[in-house]
Amino acid sequence: MTKRNLVIAVTMLFIVSIMLTSCAGTGGAVGKLQVNANGEDFVRQGFVSKDGWSISFDRLYVSLADVTACQTDPPYDPHSSTSMDCDVKVSLDEMYCVDLAEGGPNAPPILVDEVADAPAGHYNAISWKMVKAPSGPASGYSLVIIGTAAKDGQSIDFSIKVDREYEYSCGEYVGDERKGIVQEGGSADVEMTFHFDHMFGDAETAMDDDLNVSAVGFEPFAGIAEGGKLDADMAELRSSLSPQDYQMLEDILPTLGHVGEGHCHCE
Amino acid sequence: MHTKWNIALCLLFLAILGLGLPTPALAHGARIQYTVNVAIELVATYDNGDPMAGAQYVIYAPDDPSTPWLAGECDDEGRFSFTPDSSRPGTWVVQVRQAGHGDIVHIPVGQDTTVAGSTGGYTTLQIVLMAACVVWGSVGTALYFSPRRRG
Repeated sequence: MTKRNLVIAVTMLFIVSIMLTSCAGTGGAVGKLQVNANGEDFVRQGFVSKDGWSISFDRLYVSLADVTACQTDPPYDPHSSTSMDCDVKVSLDEMYCVDLAEGGPNAPPILVDEVADAPAGHYNAISWKMVKAPSGPASGYSLVIIGTAAKDGQSIDFSIKVDREYEYSCGEYVGDERKGIVQEGGSADVEMTFHFDHMFGDAETAMDDDLNVSAVGFEPFAGIAEGGKLDADMAELRSSLSPQDYQMLEDILPTLGHVGEGHCHCE
Repeated sequence: MHTKWNIALCLLFLAILGLGLPTPALAHGARIQYTVNVAIELVATYDNGDPMAGAQYVIYAPDDPSTPWLAGECDDEGRFSFTPDSSRPGTWVVQVRQAGHGDIVHIPVGQDTTVAGSTGGYTTLQIVLMAACVVWGSVGTALYFSPRRRG
């Protein structure tokens, strides 16, 4: 072998080594990533609205699509104008219709789906869409809220059906623990959290708190119920509620989606 | 030419060895070291600008994202401060929560230094290979273009 051929051979050896180590990356470490949907205790246990109605939920259907968990660096900030730039992402290809009221008062969050071979790392961002369900109990709607409200001996069975579609982009979960940290062979979860106290208000929160100031409450819905029943979609609510109350409802619906207590960007 | 070949190989090995050899210490030398610890001050407010007085904060260090590094309460103006451990560079995470409201902020600290375990980092093997490639790039080029030995 001539000297020049030896030089070329060694150089090629370096190139191949670099390519192999680059392709190896982190060693292909994977773990399980679960995606949950959570209506929190407000949905599972019921609560008192800002205007004194005791609300309990029988069914609370949310129709979900394009659910994607991401590893982002720098971490995605939903308050900024930048779009979510995923370094690593795990997507759920199916559409899901989950009942956030399923289970007892102390039931865990609803498991939407799980990915057994999610690349290891920290999934610090998640996005999803609320879309009209193509079939099933919430067919034609992105959100169906079914329950009972009671106050001063009066009881109203309600079914509120929303056909608006929303797209949420959220950063890292904010709560008692950090979520989404997948280690090799381990398991972690990310969560889509839905805050229905934003819609009805919360008697246990100060009335001048932004949450209550911007919440519709239940009194406007009680006012349009007939014979102790309310079954209305957005078109019927638009024609029945006062313009102010309907506008509050339209404004608050995009704010339902959270990650724990962390806010999301909604389009 | 054979001598030039030997010199080139010697330079290659010396360069590789030089990456790992320690510098000898002088017996009567003096050394002053200093570390700058910069405190980070934060203020937590609600969307309407009101301070999150008494809110709970939790701080996570970059190399242990699951275990709180420090926890405490904001003062009446929603303020608190901490001094990150300068030996743990990377993104420090601060979470503030109160009565169902909360937010999280990611603060890069010492990001100009190597961050262990970051998504875009290199493994030790990759770093060694890159260093060897740089050295070989010089030596190999010199060898390739050096005049061939005659006859």
